[in-house]
Amino acid sequence: MRVGTGGLVRFDRSLPVWVLAALALLVLMALPLGWLGYMSVSGGEGATLAHYREVFTDAQLQKALWNTVVLAFWVGLVSLAIGAPMAWLTARTDLPGRRLIRGLIMASFVTPPFLGAFAWVMLAGPNAGLLNKLYRALTGAEDPLVNVFSMPGLIFVVAIYTFPYVFIMIANTLELIASELEDAASILGAGRLRVALTVTLPMVLPAIASGFILAVLQALALFGSPAILALPAGFHTITTQIWALFHYPPKVEMAAAFSVPLLLATALLLLVQKQLLGRRGYAAIGGKSAQRRRIPLGPWRLPALAGCLGVMACSIFLPYGILAKAAFARAWAQPLTAENFTLENFALTFGHGATRSAIWNTLELGTLTACVGAGLAAVLAYIVNRRILPGHQLLAFLALAPVVIPGVVLAVALFVAYTRPPLVLYGSLWILFVAYLTKEMPVGYAQSDATFKGVHPELEEAGRVLGAGRLRVLGEITAPLARSGVIATWCFVFIGVIRELSASIILFTPNTKVISVVIFDLKEEGQFGAIAVLGLFMLAMTFAAVVVMQTLLGRDFIGAKE
Amino acid sequence: MPGVTIKGLTKRYGDVAAVEGLSLEVQPSELVSLLGPSGCGKTTTLRLVAGFLRPEAGEIWVGERCLSSPTGVVPPERRRMAMIFQSYALWPHMTVAQNVAYGLRLKAGVSKTEREARVKDMLRVVQLGGYESRYPGELSGGQQQRVAVARALVVEPEILLLDEPLSNLDANLREEMRFEIRRLHATFAITTLYVTHDQGEAMVISDRVAVLHRGRVVQVGTAEDLFQRPRTRFVAEFIGKTNLVDGVAVEPGVVERGGLRLRVAVTGLKAGAPVAVSIRPHEIILVTGDRATPPGHNVLTGVVQRTSYLGDAVDYQVRVNESDVTLRVTAPTSIRLGPGVGARLAVAPEACVPLIEPEEGRP
Repeated sequence: MRVGTGGLVRFDRSLPVWVLAALALLVLMALPLGWLGYMSVSGGEGATLAHYREVFTDAQLQKALWNTVVLAFWVGLVSLAIGAPMAWLTARTDLPGRRLIRGLIMASFVTPPFLGAFAWVMLAGPNAGLLNKLYRALTGAEDPLVNVFSMPGLIFVVAIYTFPYVFIMIANTLELIASELEDAASILGAGRLRVALTVTLPMVLPAIASGFILAVLQALALFGSPAILALPAGFHTITTQIWALFHYPPKVEMAAAFSVPLLLATALLLLVQKQLLGRRGYAAIGGKSAQRRRIPLGPWRLPALAGCLGVMACSIFLPYGILAKAAFARAWAQPLTAENFTLENFALTFGHGATRSAIWNTLELGTLTACVGAGLAAVLAYIVNRRILPGHQLLAFLALAPVVIPGVVLAVALFVAYTRPPLVLYGSLWILFVAYLTKEMPVGYAQSDATFKGVHPELEEAGRVLGAGRLRVLGEITAPLARSGVIATWCFVFIGVIRELSASIILFTPNTKVISVVIFDLKEEGQFGAIAVLGLFMLAMTFAAVVVMQTLLGRDFIGAKE
Repeated sequence: MPGVTIKGLTKRYGDVAAVEGLSLEVQPSELVSLLGPSGCGKTTTLRLVAGFLRPEAGEIWVGERCLSSPTGVVPPERRRMAMIFQSYALWPHMTVAQNVAYGLRLKAGVSKTEREARVKDMLRVVQLGGYESRYPGELSGGQQQRVAVARALVVEPEILLLDEPLSNLDANLREEMRFEIRRLHATFAITTLYVTHDQGEAMVISDRVAVLHRGRVVQVGTAEDLFQRPRTRFVAEFIGKTNLVDGVAVEPGVVERGGLRLRVAVTGLKAGAPVAVSIRPHEIILVTGDRATPPGHNVLTGVVQRTSYLGDAVDYQVRVNESDVTLRVTAPTSIRLGPGVGARLAVAPEACVPLIEPEEGRP
């Protein structure tokens, strides 16, 4: 062979790393989903559609399906009604305290929704709820002002933690639109309203629609809030119904069959959202000299601020306040006087053996999942960005695929997949690890992808040309440059894991409880003090991770650099 | 110092051929530019030479070594080349000295003291002595450029590749760096491939220029060759401004279009064949008043359509009488004619260059 004076066909030592990562991802995604589909059609003898027939004829399941549709639709609308104006106000106007509002919205973004739901039970429960007591005291009325255990109550509580999705989509788009585009319409004679309706709105419309869809998806997949608010009110959603199907005697096949429509609906909605975002060239909105002027609100400055703070009161101030109060009170419903003040809740909670082991489990799982997840996501994103393996686009698709899998559905799939050979993981922490790893993969992948997009390939090529092999370049050039991005990914995954409830609630066993499951159990016992303590602990860990992440990325994770 | 031989190189992305049957010979110690508009395949060619891409067909040889063929590619790290990137690709987490020393650390047999000495020397050569401990982010664009040059040259590569290295600099600095690169080439005499879309840059820097169009080399030559004897319509139009007259050969050395008759630079034309003739605007002499036209020139008469004052010259558009041809003429500012005025034009036959290679897709 003429070719080969330079030792041409030498084994690329980095190849096993790529192939192993790709295989791991493939197994991680294919195994549970394959089993889920198989289980949903498996009968006593051979394949059957009986489970599906039952799902679509059973009156109770029908009701749950309808409730979910109502919930998701209204959550979408309410989130839009809250998120869109706030996005416009913070992105395009001279609203005072814009950064504060943004920060608070991020706080509600990372607040576990089920904690918010607990807080709102304490705030607006029909009997002991603080707001209702206040209302009775002020008016002397007998009936409560609001009842959080109702469909409207559920919609409200879900929406105040879901609207940040809408906010992020719209705010990010608005910030890309140069004032020049609007000026171009003004100079041609369009008035303010016409500019807004014919230029600004059409450009933001895809973001509005896709924000709406994201909010709907959140509501569809949510388990905690419906379990806390809908069950006492006597109605089910799909997720709580699937969970109930696992109660003795477990009907796994039914749960699987009921999961598939939810999976398909999610996939369909995401597809629509992608279409919406993909059709218009967002790149065209940018432009180099893009200057953005802030629109003066004039006399509306203060009312607008008050409105924003009102929303934040509902999603942050009041819930955090009542959690803090409950944590330090003997009786959470009584005023926090000197006699009522106590630190016992902390001592009891952290002294309790089962709770302590749950805290350890959560921290262990959070750390392990974050390490493995950030590592795997980094390798995968690298493969895709540098087109190392054939079929790298498929890897990207697989890594992002769990987005369409609601936590409860994923749990059903994993339950089916890992309660039988070859891998019996049920009953150990490993099944939770696999669940978290799968569930957090899209977030981790997206974050890593952004990291490697920021490392110009020429930086690596420059090393290669000078004589460094692929692994060496990876270690000496790529790794140092990607480090802060990878640590940020770690934090993202960690935050996602410690708050996870919907998959954990199905996959836990008495020895493998995590904090979120313990909190959920404590509800049954009415131990709001302990719930509050654990909730605050969870929030503290979350915000610690957020701070680390923001410091590393130099921006908030909504995308604003300041 | 070996040369580079590229034979029939082809690289496809899907159905699109970025490079198609490209051949080029670069002599030892020669600096050849790959010049062409964006999308002509020049950067793909460079990356093929660097070993980042595997060709679908063709071979790349450096001296006696075949480095690329469809069956295998020597990886970039074993090609003994250096490359200067459009983005400079300086590692932001390393100091200037660390950036420049990187390639030397990977070379066997270079001791630490030798390495430090060579880095220091090289930084002095690119006029960055004293900047060793700075980080790239603390340097200006021109200084970053020099670091990239130093990093590439310090390893004494067999082949140096440059991918539009000056395109991120402002106009003045770009001009300065052109001469700087030429000076360094004169000093080190490394065989060099230089990719650019700027014809002025290519002409100043290169020994020879290879003009690329649609993935092929359409013409290779010195700057003078390309400018004075373009072989295709594409080269004539891409290198400098020109007038193109599409006519028909009536005699071996004469081309006609309507009432326009031109004696041209060659005499081998086949009568009846369609021929395009390129005439540079500054080769056309504007003859005013009753002055005599230079002997032996083609003489045309026409009417001035439009004039543009350019400061150092005046640009005329002259409609040639009894034809549909309008010629652009660059004349000294000492002659001033207004629109509508009759003018005589004189062009030496040597300045009327028939484009002898038919363009793809054109008659």
